[in-house]
Amino acid sequence: MPALLTVDPRSGVPIYLQIIEQIKRSVALGVLQAGEQLPTVKQLAIDLTVNPNTVARAYRELEREEVIETAPGRGSFVRANGVAESPRVAAEIAGDALDVALREAKSVGLERPAVRELFEAALRRWFGDL
Amino acid sequence: MSTITISNLRKVYGPIAAVDGFSLEIPGASVFGILGPNGAGKTTTFKCMLGLARATSGVVLYDGRPLVPATLERIAYVPERSVLYDWMTVEEHVEMNRRAFSAFNPARAFELLELFNVDRRRRVRALSKGMRTAVMVALAFAQSAEILVLDEPTGGLDPINQRHVLSLMINEAAKGNSVVFSSHQIGQVERAAEQIAVMDRGRLILQGLVDDLKGDRKIVEGVFPDVRFVLDGIANDPRVARVDRTERIVRLLVTGGANDIASRLSAAGAMGVRILDLNLEDIFLYAVSPATATTDIVAKGSSS
Repeated sequence: MPALLTVDPRSGVPIYLQIIEQIKRSVALGVLQAGEQLPTVKQLAIDLTVNPNTVARAYRELEREEVIETAPGRGSFVRANGVAESPRVAAEIAGDALDVALREAKSVGLERPAVRELFEAALRRWFGDL
Repeated sequence: MSTITISNLRKVYGPIAAVDGFSLEIPGASVFGILGPNGAGKTTTFKCMLGLARATSGVVLYDGRPLVPATLERIAYVPERSVLYDWMTVEEHVEMNRRAFSAFNPARAFELLELFNVDRRRRVRALSKGMRTAVMVALAFAQSAEILVLDEPTGGLDPINQRHVLSLMINEAAKGNSVVFSSHQIGQVERAAEQIAVMDRGRLILQGLVDDLKGDRKIVEGVFPDVRFVLDGIANDPRVARVDRTERIVRLLVTGGANDIASRLSAAGAMGVRILDLNLEDIFLYAVSPATATTDIVAKGSSS
């Protein structure tokens, strides 16, 4: 089985956030199914060669967001709720990317109609004509 | 699980303070990285921690207690320079360490030597610098220590063996042991360390969780239409740690509130406002180099 996750430690994005983002993405894409067991903190830390506390921090945050749940002594699992929420997670991932693109567009001085035109063109490219 | 507390450590050699008033708490069950330019005081700090150099003032405590001979049994140390005997074989070093440390595990040492591809029958004289490092690392990790102090534990190693060393460190932290290491290779520290301390000229200049330093510290960059631009007091915001400007471009190093500062920069008339992530190398370089213009003459002059 290929590694569930990869991290880029040289990136400016904190490693625990990279882990969170990838697990959410795997859930949204159905790569991780409801009830599926995640690697233990120790195992994932060793696989990724990152500090166990960093992995534990990502898991804690995913628990707080109800994407996964941890049963003491049994491990961490994807919540059914986490999968039901996958459209929301997908929207969140896409929303963040759009936000960055729009901030960039604004910062280089584009006006609303020009941005809308670009958006419509991109929409046609990826989703086809209506 | 052992916490190491360094308080007000100072070590003076003649007129030079190699370590100049340094306090740090190193948590247990984690990997702690120490970074710093050459001569920053990393090795001297390690020597003071291990009682190999007598601190001029200040103390190092292990779980609140000073270093005693029994504590040394629990500490494994890889020094920066080889302390192996040229005329002895690798195998003989394993035997020597077995006699020296009660919990030393010779089988583990041989297993690690195999992992690093070091022939146990060779004399140290015949080993490359990297292989000598590998032998010292193998001996240290076979000591069954609770605290590992590793001064440049990947010096001279090829990328595969470097990764083996990082994996061994992670494994120790996962078992609840404390690992402190220094490295010139920031990428390694960035990958394996949970917390870092940056030293410069004997002082601690930056410390924190790597992920938090990356999460908080951002560069907010903007381009002004005219070289005579006004920063409208943004430079005085306490979250702005430094201001670098060249011609019409301004780069602000912010610690928190990057979105807010970016909006204010736009409102002040900057175009192309971007928020840039910083990796550990950027954070390190910003920490050890002075700003090009902390006092902003154009902005302050124009705003009056």
